[in-house]
Amino acid sequence: MIVTAQKPLDEVLDSISPYGKVLIAGCDGCTQPPRGLREARTLSQLLELGGRLRDRNFAFKVATVVKQCDSFLTASALKPLMDDVDAVLSLACGVGVQTVADLFPDLPVLPAQNTHFMGAEDREGGILEENCVGCGDCLLVLTGGICPVTRCAKGLLNGACGGARNGKCEMNPAKDCAWELIFQRLAKQDKLDLIKEFRPPRNYQLKAWRLTP
Amino acid sequence: MSQEVTEQRVAVKLNEEHCSRCSICRSLCPFEAITKDAKTKKVLLEIEKCQVCGICYSACPAKAIDTIYYDCASLINYLEKAKRKYDSDTLVIMCKGSAPDFLGVERLFGVSKFIPLSVPCVGRISEELFLKAITMGIKEIYILACGEDYCRFDRGSPITGRRVLALNQLLEQLGYGKEAITLKRNSLKVKADTDLCISCGNCAFYCPYDAAKLDSPGGAKFDLDSCRGCGLCVAMCPAIALDLENWERERISTLLSKLLSEMKPPKILVFRCQWAVFPPLDGEFSPNIRAIDLPCAARVDTFHLLEAFQKGVDGVLVAACPEDDCKLEKGSWWAQHLVAKLRESLSQIGFPDRLHFCSVAVRYPEDFDRELRQFSQRIEAICSKKGGK
Repeated sequence: MIVTAQKPLDEVLDSISPYGKVLIAGCDGCTQPPRGLREARTLSQLLELGGRLRDRNFAFKVATVVKQCDSFLTASALKPLMDDVDAVLSLACGVGVQTVADLFPDLPVLPAQNTHFMGAEDREGGILEENCVGCGDCLLVLTGGICPVTRCAKGLLNGACGGARNGKCEMNPAKDCAWELIFQRLAKQDKLDLIKEFRPPRNYQLKAWRLTP
Repeated sequence: MSQEVTEQRVAVKLNEEHCSRCSICRSLCPFEAITKDAKTKKVLLEIEKCQVCGICYSACPAKAIDTIYYDCASLINYLEKAKRKYDSDTLVIMCKGSAPDFLGVERLFGVSKFIPLSVPCVGRISEELFLKAITMGIKEIYILACGEDYCRFDRGSPITGRRVLALNQLLEQLGYGKEAITLKRNSLKVKADTDLCISCGNCAFYCPYDAAKLDSPGGAKFDLDSCRGCGLCVAMCPAIALDLENWERERISTLLSKLLSEMKPPKILVFRCQWAVFPPLDGEFSPNIRAIDLPCAARVDTFHLLEAFQKGVDGVLVAACPEDDCKLEKGSWWAQHLVAKLRESLSQIGFPDRLHFCSVAVRYPEDFDRELRQFSQRIEAICSKKGGK
């Protein structure tokens, strides 16, 4: 899922301040936590209150889209709502914001979120962590399902570096050493021979920016 | 400065002089707060464990237990006044856990004119009070209590059932008809609109009772037998696809508007977990303060908190039980988390210090009074600084 964080609300208030009628568009897709109808409505309530303190009377419309990054679904969901709207405030990730902006090029489309990474939620403590950088050359088959490109601070393909202390990364002691995790996982699966396999440097040309489906 | 140490006022006390050491209270207490000293044979109350369900009070044959909430004398006093006020000889007693208001009574019992009495658990109402009510001229008593296995106090609802059975037999023998007391049960459950479900799995994650499942296409499914009606999933559902029976969003909004219309500034609205604060029977607050009861702090909803501010409330106080006292699972914890997040958002828009969370235990009645007093003072200070805004 795409992990996003709410922008500071004073920043959002500044960004919508030139406009009177704003459509807040949620996204039920992969943002975590889901930025659907509840977030959209709560945000409209907060911005209305914030507007009042700044002597501004915003009018909000609130809607949500199944997947804002899907231009077909987004067009059909949002088009009927666009008549008297001055701007769109999107709760989606950066991809969703750009999809809406491309669909309605005459309208300012503003982000309400900062998009951070592709990751997963640790369901125990509610921590979200980055798990994939989209390198275009997946090597999880060799690393016990743990990505060193993402989770090793040095992005080493042939780890570990030797700098880890008590299983924690020397660059960031809050972070687990990805290569120690890989070692333990492979040991558990009796596949430690994989760790000796030499992996050549990454081929950055494999990282695509456009693909045909 | 006074160094005097005053003893903290507690909600339940055991009067040793009157105690016959029969141990009925000990056998009924759902929280093992009452013990018997092996040597002295004295019955002891450990107030830290007491959840103030009132079951011991209602069952003590020696009247050796005193409670400051809904004791027999104040209930009788209330009934006498209410009988005149409502000009009715029909009494409706409702467990607070059933609904925030009496709107459903007509549909349930077919009565429109009645004396309302809402108590945290009907299990605290003794036989004595029922009989007193009847001698007072009350002709019909209707009770709405929670399901037997659903009682937040564990044994309150089953005890009510047994009491009503025995009382009806007794009253029939005395010539008061076959069913002088009518008992109906109602257990709150989640209501899901599957058309709105986005299959995000939040309900399945948050539900402390494994009642919500997302294991097949077509949205989340709810096992209503396991649902305990805490409302946490409702407050957390990002698609607004869930609601809680009797505590529907609309119903709380309506109640909120009604309360606001009767308030004077600086307006302070309290959302209180009904197990954390037991309101007095009548004339509760000053004209600027009103409260909405929640079935558990977990049902506190950002919509209603923000709606209150939008409609002109100056301060909102959320009162929940201490974490360990939560009658449900982690309700207080999540409420605190939710309020903290919203507080941060409110300060970002330039509206700080208007929302406050407090955890208060009903066994120490002064806790809530103190929190409310301090909060009121803070809100008054903010409002007077802004020129009464």
